Amino acid sequence: MAEFQLPPGSRISNDGKTFKAPEGAKKVRRFQIYRFDPDSGQNPRVDTYEIDMATCGPMVLDALIKIKNEIDPTLSFRRSCREGICGSCAMNIDGSNTLACIKSCADVKGADVRIYPLPHMPVIKDLIPDLTQFYAQYAAVKPWLTTRSPAPPDGERLQSKEDQEKIDGPSACILCACCSTSCPSYWWNSDRYLGPAALLAAYRWIVDSRDDSTGERLDALEDPFRLYRCHTIMNCTEACPKDLNPARAIGEIKRMIAGRRH
Amino acid sequence: MAPRPLSPHLSVYRFAYTMALSILHRITGVALASGLLVLVAWLLALGGGPQAYAAFTGFMGHGLIQVILGAWLLAFLYHLANGIRHLFWDTGRGFAKTAARRSARMVIAFVVVAGALLVYVFFWPAGGVQ
Ligand code: HEM
Ligand code: SF4
Ligand code: SF4
Ligand code: FES
Repeated sequence: MAEFQLPPGSRISNDGKTFKAPEGAKKVRRFQIYRFDPDSGQNPRVDTYEIDMATCGPMVLDALIKIKNEIDPTLSFRRSCREGICGSCAMNIDGSNTLACIKSCADVKGADVRIYPLPHMPVIKDLIPDLTQFYAQYAAVKPWLTTRSPAPPDGERLQSKEDQEKIDGPSACILCACCSTSCPSYWWNSDRYLGPAALLAAYRWIVDSRDDSTGERLDALEDPFRLYRCHTIMNCTEACPKDLNPARAIGEIKRMIAGRRH
Repeated sequence: MAPRPLSPHLSVYRFAYTMALSILHRITGVALASGLLVLVAWLLALGGGPQAYAAFTGFMGHGLIQVILGAWLLAFLYHLANGIRHLFWDTGRGFAKTAARRSARMVIAFVVVAGALLVYVFFWPAGGVQ
């Protein structure tokens, strides 16, 4: 059953600290950032950092790195590529899930920039969620090629340009989890609903012309929870920083399952 | 080590049109289902003879009940329009972000226009059929 309120130990306390901007700062912007320290035994809090944007790079990730380097080295977050391809820096910025490295601070309309971890996830520390279950759901859709026919002796398994284009889009998924953690159905049922990222991955292998397990893949999804918790809320598609469309992929899977009944 | 807290969700997520329309579909669905009880009451009153029927219509003529009936009508219009939107999705169309936003606006426009018209026809004291 959906639990709309945060459990007591997860509620945000009023103990947040404020780090003032340095003297003579020209373009001050306030960053309000969710903090949780597992060693403190205390509830999460929101700290406020005033940053001089005149000496800061344009992206939200630039601001986070500036804070960590110059103001507060205890701030923890994941990042790697800083160009939107590794999927590490996914977080909730200004109320929507996206990648900190490709989200421009100037695009945040409000006065303050509010930053939280991906929603409805167990928090390891600060902006770092535990993605164990998310990855397990990805693994559950068997995201690899399965074949029964023997491999061609002289090369790879080929497919036409048209067939390749079918998997072009979904293959671009970077497993950042922005979509799944934006989905209210996933919030309330993540123990049983696979979520848009895993279902997009399932779709990618279902429509792959070289794969021989289409039927088994559809069988595995035909379940009131694993697939049908999707009510086409469309949050996933709105959130995806790679402009992919998990909601459409899920709709296509539902159609394929309905279509094979007769 | 403390157990891992759950990160905030509803309290931080921007309430986008996507969520608003989706939850409204469920709310109106439940409202329609509850409204069916009124239909049952009407049928019972119909079977219960002229007196029971007069009592029923008298009760339904009450101002507050009329407002609730008006809201029920709007709920029906919304559920109908958004239900058609859902059925359209079920044919595999309208999933692009721009298309979904456009269909959302169409649903709202339909409810406003058809709602204003029908509320006028059924409930406006001076005009309409009553
Ligand atoms: C008095 C008549 C009706 C009642 C009592 C009713 C009730 C409901 C309820 C309780 C739900 C479940 C909501 C949810 O799980 O979120 C629902 C869903 C739905 N209704 Fe209706 N409904 C009525 C008429 C209609 C009509 C006329 C249409 C078609 C135009 C329609 C289309 C749908 C669709 C497509 C869904 C599924 C939405 C989804 O996938 O989440 N309904 N309805
Ligand atoms: S379309 Fe489906 S998967 Fe995407 S946010 Fe909505 S319910 Fe979740
Ligand atoms: S579909 Fe988009 S939002 Fe979802 S995991 Fe893949 S890249 Fe991230
Ligand atoms: S740092 Fe790699 S996606 Fe942002």
